[in-house]
Amino acid sequence: MSFIKNYIEQQMLNRRKLLLLSAYGLCGAAFGASVRPGRAAPASRDIKVAWSYRDRTNPYWNGIVSGGEAFVESLGWSSGDLINLINGGSSEKSLSDVKSLLSRYGNKTALAIDPNDMPNCRPVVEAVSQAGAYVSTIWNKTDDLHPWDFGDNYVSHMTWSDVQPSEQTARVLFDAMGGKGGVVHLGGIASNNPAIERLKGLKNALKSYPNIELLAVQAADWDTQKANQVMSGFLTRYGDAIKGVHCASDTMAYGVIEALRAEGTENIPVVSYDGNAQAVQMVAQGKLLATVFTNPHWAGGITASLAYHAAIGSFKPSKEPKEHREFYGPAMVVTTKDAKDFKAKYIDSNPQYNWNDFWALAKGPIQYDT
Amino acid sequence: MVPHISAETIRRWVPLFVLLGLVLFFTALNPHFFSVRNFARIAISATPALMVAVGVTFVILMGSIDLSMEGTIAVAAVMFALILNRLGGSVVGVGGLAIPGALVVGAALGAINGLIHVKLKIPSFMASLSLGFVGVGLSLLITGGDRILIDDPVFRSLLTVRFGGFPLMTYVALFCLVVAWFIQANTTIGRNFYAIGGGEELARGSGLNVGRLRIIAFVIAGVFYALGAILAVARLGIAETETGRNFMFVSITSVVVGGTALAGGSGGVWNTLIGVLIVNVIGNGMVVIGLPDYFQDGMLGLLVISAVYLSMDRRAFSFVK
Repeated sequence: MSFIKNYIEQQMLNRRKLLLLSAYGLCGAAFGASVRPGRAAPASRDIKVAWSYRDRTNPYWNGIVSGGEAFVESLGWSSGDLINLINGGSSEKSLSDVKSLLSRYGNKTALAIDPNDMPNCRPVVEAVSQAGAYVSTIWNKTDDLHPWDFGDNYVSHMTWSDVQPSEQTARVLFDAMGGKGGVVHLGGIASNNPAIERLKGLKNALKSYPNIELLAVQAADWDTQKANQVMSGFLTRYGDAIKGVHCASDTMAYGVIEALRAEGTENIPVVSYDGNAQAVQMVAQGKLLATVFTNPHWAGGITASLAYHAAIGSFKPSKEPKEHREFYGPAMVVTTKDAKDFKAKYIDSNPQYNWNDFWALAKGPIQYDT
Repeated sequence: MVPHISAETIRRWVPLFVLLGLVLFFTALNPHFFSVRNFARIAISATPALMVAVGVTFVILMGSIDLSMEGTIAVAAVMFALILNRLGGSVVGVGGLAIPGALVVGAALGAINGLIHVKLKIPSFMASLSLGFVGVGLSLLITGGDRILIDDPVFRSLLTVRFGGFPLMTYVALFCLVVAWFIQANTTIGRNFYAIGGGEELARGSGLNVGRLRIIAFVIAGVFYALGAILAVARLGIAETETGRNFMFVSITSVVVGGTALAGGSGGVWNTLIGVLIVNVIGNGMVVIGLPDYFQDGMLGLLVISAVYLSMDRRAFSFVK
């Protein structure tokens, strides 16, 4: 039962860290108060920081949470002070969690959230602004909903445009295929926005490679086992005509690579998306050609930071330009050339981010198709 | 004179005809479907599901249901990977203990499941569903949401080494299926499962310790879930909480499509084999002929309804609940 022992040890370590950090935090607060005499130190300890997201079985959300925890630790709190609301893929649960949180902490709430699906964003934001609390969202928001319509309470929205990076991985793949041959695409849940955009990126790249043929597109629901089965179906249907595989996520690429391995054909190039630790490792080993890293650690920290700093009044969201309220998050293509350096910098450790530099990695204002 | 074929006989053979019909259908639309290489692919995707479905068959034969498989598989897979990596990372030598280790984990979870169901008198549906959630949570606690990779080439040879075109894991699964058939047909316990499913009051009146038998069935199911977990890890080289995902739907569907009655008392592990093959042939065939996946789910749904309808003589029921 060593995992229980590890857990206890970790908790004790966290407690020690908390003591040290809170001592440090008190000094910092005292210092801050002394150098800015005109301004009282905000009663930051009253604010509760919460992250609401889907689940903990996915490396992406684990990255988000690690960022959120790094942020609260930077305040001198313990990582346990970050409130985790896990909706398990249910918008109803997401909303009711938020309402419970608000009824407990009211306007002392700073919430970072992925509302699970687009329609759920509005009720969440409305509940938060009615309570006078602060919310920053990522990923899911309808196009007609904007932070600036809610004064200061809807602090910001960050999302990622996956079209461009997905097009880049497709180009890397096509070049590796020598610019000709058949390619298959394994997509995410068909109605998910990232699934749509990542396929669109592939199709954009196809335009400049006339000798590449897109043989088939099939949803494998972001799932490793399903991707494994879909890929074996593709192998039966197209056999040797498949010269490359474009996957909409790392988790599906793992299933594809194992399906190829079962056939003893491991030399077919595969590209994916998300930049999970295992995928980056595979890129470094040459088992995967490229993936895209969206920096969930930074996203998790900065989204919490935005809500928190709006709540304590460090900045006034309504005074910020629109590109500071709605913006794209970072995306980096990782290829076999840079995977080793990338892994050392972003996977084996996390860079020390300045959580007060809110828009350091932002990639410009969100564009809407009109 | 045309020999008389009873409705009962037809009912027994319907799943096999459905399977053959599907194979012919997909072959007609894409001849590549009918090849050893493709059958090997279907076998690879079917083996873990077969173990899980065989496990739950025993429970369904008694007229109970077990929905704990996703949690049990997750815990067994993760514990298997942890033990293996802790003991040197190879199944040759001490690391081989990971296999009995995982089976013990499966048996233990099955026993807890059965005890809760029998001793606390909680319907098996609810007891096992809840325990499944507990299992998923437990595996999440153990892994912290991470994936554990298994790189041992000896263990992965279950997937990579082939005899007669089929990978080793297929033969392992077939061997386990024969063991399950032996339990079902040639042991007192196996016969008693049918007795309970056929009429629990009668079985009790005849002096059977029904509670004990129920617990045994859940333990056997747990062991087969663990076998499924090991094969699922062998297939992908990854053990994680998600390893158990989707097995509940696939295994229950397979058992029902294979012709084992949910009410208990009829069917068996060979039916389950046919059912698992039907479900996997559809999954593979839909991709092979290039139909979109929503057809796949829809077709499975229709099959389940028709299979449940055909599995028993409906005239015997005046009402259903």
